[in-house]
Amino acid sequence: MSNREIVAENLVKRYNGNVTAVNDVSFRVKSGEIFGFLGPNGAGKSTTVAMLTTLIVPTEGKATVGGYDVVSQAGEVRRIAGVALQEIGIDPLMKSMELLTIQAQMFGLSRRQAQERARELLDLVKLSNVTDRRVGKYSGGMRRRLDLALALAHEPAILFLDEPTTGLDPASRRDIWNEVRRLNKQLGMTIFLTTQYLEEADELADRVAIINNGRIVVEGTPADLKAGLGAESINVTFRETEDAERARSELAAMAERAQVDRKTLRLYLSRAAESVPVVVNRLGQTGLEPVSLTLTQPTLDDVFLHFTGRRFSAEDMPEAEVA
Amino acid sequence: MSVISNPTTLVGIRRAERPVSMPFFLQVTTMTWRSLVTIFRTPAAVVPGLLISAFFLFVYEASLGNASNFLPGLAGKSYLAFILPVSVISSALSGAALAGEAIVRDIENGYFNKLLLTPINRRALLLGPMIAGALVLGLQTAIVVVVGLLMGLRPETGVAGIAAVMGLAVLLGVAFSGFTVSIALRTGSGAATQGASFLFFPLTFLTATFVPLSLLTGWIKTAATYNPITYILEAMRSVLLTGWEADVLARGLLAILAMAALTFTFAILSLRARTRRR
Repeated sequence: MSNREIVAENLVKRYNGNVTAVNDVSFRVKSGEIFGFLGPNGAGKSTTVAMLTTLIVPTEGKATVGGYDVVSQAGEVRRIAGVALQEIGIDPLMKSMELLTIQAQMFGLSRRQAQERARELLDLVKLSNVTDRRVGKYSGGMRRRLDLALALAHEPAILFLDEPTTGLDPASRRDIWNEVRRLNKQLGMTIFLTTQYLEEADELADRVAIINNGRIVVEGTPADLKAGLGAESINVTFRETEDAERARSELAAMAERAQVDRKTLRLYLSRAAESVPVVVNRLGQTGLEPVSLTLTQPTLDDVFLHFTGRRFSAEDMPEAEVA
Repeated sequence: MSVISNPTTLVGIRRAERPVSMPFFLQVTTMTWRSLVTIFRTPAAVVPGLLISAFFLFVYEASLGNASNFLPGLAGKSYLAFILPVSVISSALSGAALAGEAIVRDIENGYFNKLLLTPINRRALLLGPMIAGALVLGLQTAIVVVVGLLMGLRPETGVAGIAAVMGLAVLLGVAFSGFTVSIALRTGSGAATQGASFLFFPLTFLTATFVPLSLLTGWIKTAATYNPITYILEAMRSVLLTGWEADVLARGLLAILAMAALTFTFAILSLRARTRRR
């Protein structure tokens, strides 16, 4: 199969000469990879997607999608890339079958072939039972799935998903996640996914770039990024702060770093899980009685905090349902 | 549950053997069909214009129908035939607004952008709604004419005259739809598009609406003289009331062509501005 890479070199997008939405962004997404573009609202994610999908032109820099230049070979880019924008572009008066048929026809299928393709896609996104209903009557999750189907109409080699699960309930998010994984595994589709949900990037992406204020602050696999922060931690909570302080003086030596946070002692160390018995033993010897003991592995939230100096806060973040 | 087809083929056709896009003509018919579907799924957009046009016809005929004997030149002739073109023109203009509204709906709901990401020819995005608008406004004027016939309209030139009046109405509507789609493409706002269409509605009245042009005086005569609608109105009236008058018809057609030249240029420029990648 042909080149399925996405390459961005020093992309800059400035509006009206002064507002810089994207500032010197570079990355390389390999063929068949799921690349997570993670950042809070207004970080520059959608602007980057708009440049890569030929909707807008970069102010500076260069990008290729599947080897085609997004400015000079926009037509080729559109033919090999599928796009589901954050703002779902579907006409509420139409029916799903009609929209999918038109979409497939525009990419060169005959009417009959396009209808066949539309039925196939409706099966794929589990909308076959509501083809007679106008799209305006669909739920948010159904619209997202239809939009995904539209993006797949011409069997793209590279798929762009701009915040595909924002505003969805947990069950619908699961559906989309499963679909994204399946497309990636079964078809080897390269997937560029933006999200403001850390657990989404963690769950889906092979590699993640964190973008903040138009700049990429760090890039790597979720595991590497978390490992880069050093240790996991064992958290022991006591009834009194003094107990936590006492425990720290006893246990600090075995950890890379020990910190008391109110009544909780946090011991940062690699291989935290294996060290739990030792910690429990030592506590027993000193006669300190913990109220609880938990293990923490760093999250991408910690990564974000570390590199940007502020907490990641996604608006209307749904209840985390990922363990 | 069917699994997505083999990566290198799409419904059995290898990627390399697939045409890259749809032929232009089919793109246009597909977009036209789509616009028609959405127009007919919102009857609220079509019915009021039609009702207003029919309402004009009833009211003017009822209130002024017996006054025609007082109008020089109309003595002994049908006031219905004199006033019907006003209704036909207002229905053509309200139908033309549908083209702009169809485009602006797509811009507002994001479907326009979605289509821009396909290999579709930009002009099909413009022509589809315009042709759909022309078909609907043709239907609207036909209904108005049928209402007129039921009210007793007997045109001097018979069936051919009715066809001529409808032809002029559709051409006028198409010319005016160039303006409504331009506003739609420029502003991307439904409110602005409707407002702009409505703004031109008074054009119908700054003409020899109720009495022949020769009876007008003062500023309204000046306004009517420069209003292209006046000449279209006169062309329709001459067909219905007098007979075939080549010069009057030619003036009417010329007025439409002049309008179309302006609005189509504006429309093409607006399409370019809307689809230019920034």
